[in-house]
Amino acid sequence: MILGIETSCDDTCAAAVDLDGRVLSNVVASQGLLHERYGGVVPEIASRRHLEAVDAVVSDALERADASLSAVETVAVTSGPGLIGALLVGLSSAKALAAAQGLPLVAVDHLHGHVTASMLGEAPIEPPYVCLVASGGHTFVARVDERASYATLGRTLDDAAGEAFDKGARLLGLGYPGGPALDRLAREGDPEVFGFPRPLPGDGLDFSFSGLKTSLLYRVRDLGEAAARARADLAASYQAAVVDVLVARALSALEQQRLTSLAVGGGVAANSRLRARLAEACADRGIDLWIPDMALCTDNAAMIAGAARFLDPLPYPDYLALDATARP
Amino acid sequence: MNVLGFDTSTTGTSVCALRADGTASEVAPERAGPDRRPRHAQELLPAIERTRAEAGLEWPDVDAIAVGRGPGTFTGLRIGIATARALAHARAIPLRPVVSLAALAAGLDARLALALTDARRGQVYAALYEHGRERWAPFAATPEDLVERLRTLDAAPVAVGDGSLRCRDLLEEAGVPVAPDQSELHVVRALHICKLASAVPPTSPEAIVPLYLRAPDAKPAR
Ligand SMILES: [Zn+2]
Repeated sequence: MILGIETSCDDTCAAAVDLDGRVLSNVVASQGLLHERYGGVVPEIASRRHLEAVDAVVSDALERADASLSAVETVAVTSGPGLIGALLVGLSSAKALAAAQGLPLVAVDHLHGHVTASMLGEAPIEPPYVCLVASGGHTFVARVDERASYATLGRTLDDAAGEAFDKGARLLGLGYPGGPALDRLAREGDPEVFGFPRPLPGDGLDFSFSGLKTSLLYRVRDLGEAAARARADLAASYQAAVVDVLVARALSALEQQRLTSLAVGGGVAANSRLRARLAEACADRGIDLWIPDMALCTDNAAMIAGAARFLDPLPYPDYLALDATARP
Repeated sequence: MNVLGFDTSTTGTSVCALRADGTASEVAPERAGPDRRPRHAQELLPAIERTRAEAGLEWPDVDAIAVGRGPGTFTGLRIGIATARALAHARAIPLRPVVSLAALAAGLDARLALALTDARRGQVYAALYEHGRERWAPFAATPEDLVERLRTLDAAPVAVGDGSLRCRDLLEEAGVPVAPDQSELHVVRALHICKLASAVPPTSPEAIVPLYLRAPDAKPAR
C-alpha cells in the first residue's frame, strides 16, 4: 500500500492507494473559505493550516483505508511545483514518516499526478493519450506515452483557466472561489449575447487567458449600470470563450499527435460546459474521453500515490536531504 | 531518559541525541548567522539519523523527542515541528516542545540571560530568563523598544543570539554586554533543547504548533 501526501497549495491531502491503483481512501481538508476574504490563497495562512491539519489528515486516510501505519510499504509525496512553504510541511512529514520506518519514498511532480489521475480505479486509461489539465494553478496539454512521464505540448503563458474563472467571477461580483458560482450563473444566461475573443497564442498549443479577462473588465465597465442586468449573459459568454479555448487546444493536440484518447484533470473539469462540450466533440470524432471522479480531478493525494506506482522509489536513507521545488 | 532533540528556529539546524548517561552526539552550526540561507529541509533528517547512529540509539531506545517551537523563522519551525510530529507518530514516542529562546539562554552562565534572535523586518524575538526561569515571555520588538523595556530591570542581563549581534551597539550603550561575534553562545543548541525537555511534560503531537508571535502577512498569492 502506498501512502500519499499532498500539500502544494491550499488543500491538505492524504490518501492510500494499492499497487493495482485502487483508491482505498482519499482525504482532503480544504481551506477554501479560509482565504475567501483575501481573494486568493495566502501562502503563510495555507502553510500554517497545513501543519495544523497534516497529522490528522494522514491518520484519517489510514483509518478510512482500514490500515495502520505498519501496512504502508511506500510513502509518496508532492515535492513540487507549488507554494514552497506549503510543500515543505507535507514533504517534512512524509520524509519523517518514511525514515521512522525505513520505508522507501517517492517524490512526485504534482502535475504528473494530475496527468495520471485517469490511471486510477476500475478502468484505467491506457497510454498513449493526450491530457488536458486545467485548474486554478495550472493549465496545460500533455502527451503521455509511458506511465512514468509526460511531455508538455503547450501551457498557459499567463493565467490558469481556473484563475480566469475566479477573476471573471470577481468582476461580476461573485465570491471566491468564483468558478462554481460563475458556472451556476452562466446556466441562466445566453452564451451568444457577448462576443469575447478566443485567444490561441502562437503556432503551438499554448494558452493565454489574461486578455480575455481584460475584455470582460471593459465590457462590464462599458455596460455601466446595465451590467448588473446582463450578468448571467456575461457569465455565459465569458465561460463559453474560456471553454472553447480549452476544447480547441485539446482537439488540436489530439489531431497533431494522431491520438484518440483524451484525459482531463484539474478542478476546472468540474465546469459543466467544459464537460458537455468535450463529450460532444469527442463523440463526433470517435475520441475516447476520460474524466475521473471530481475527487481525483481537484488537488488530492490519491493521484500522487497513484503516480508513485510508476516511479522509482528512493530507498532509505537516500531521501533524507530531499528538498521541495516551487517551480516546475 | 534518552532524548532526541532539534531546533530549526534560526537559519541554522541543530540536532542532538542525549543519552540517559549524559553523553551527547550533537550537530550544530558553527556560529549564528542571520544572513545564512536556511537549509533546514536538507539538513534536518540527515543530522537526526547521524546523531542517532553516533549515540548508538535505535528508535525503540529513544524515550522522548524534543523540538524547538520558536519563536523564529516560520518555514524553519514548520519543518522542525512537522518532522517531530511525524517521527513521534510513527514510532509512538512522546513529544516535548521547548521554547527555542529558553534553549538559547540555557547556554549562558548568568543570573539574567537575555535571549535574542533575528526576527527580520527590523525586529528581534526576545525573552528574559533569571536563573533559567522565564521572567519575560517571548515577544517580538524593535531593538529600540527592547532597550526601553530593559531600563525597567534592576540589573543588566547578558545578551546572546543572532538578534543580539544585529543590535550590539544599542545593547552595549544600554549597559547590556553581548558575547563576542564569533562565540558559539549565539547558536541555539539542540543539546539545551534536550536538557530542557526533561522539565516539559509530554504534549499531544497534534497540539504542538510554532510560537509564531506574529499574524501571517495576508497578501493574496496571485
Ligand atoms: Zn493541482
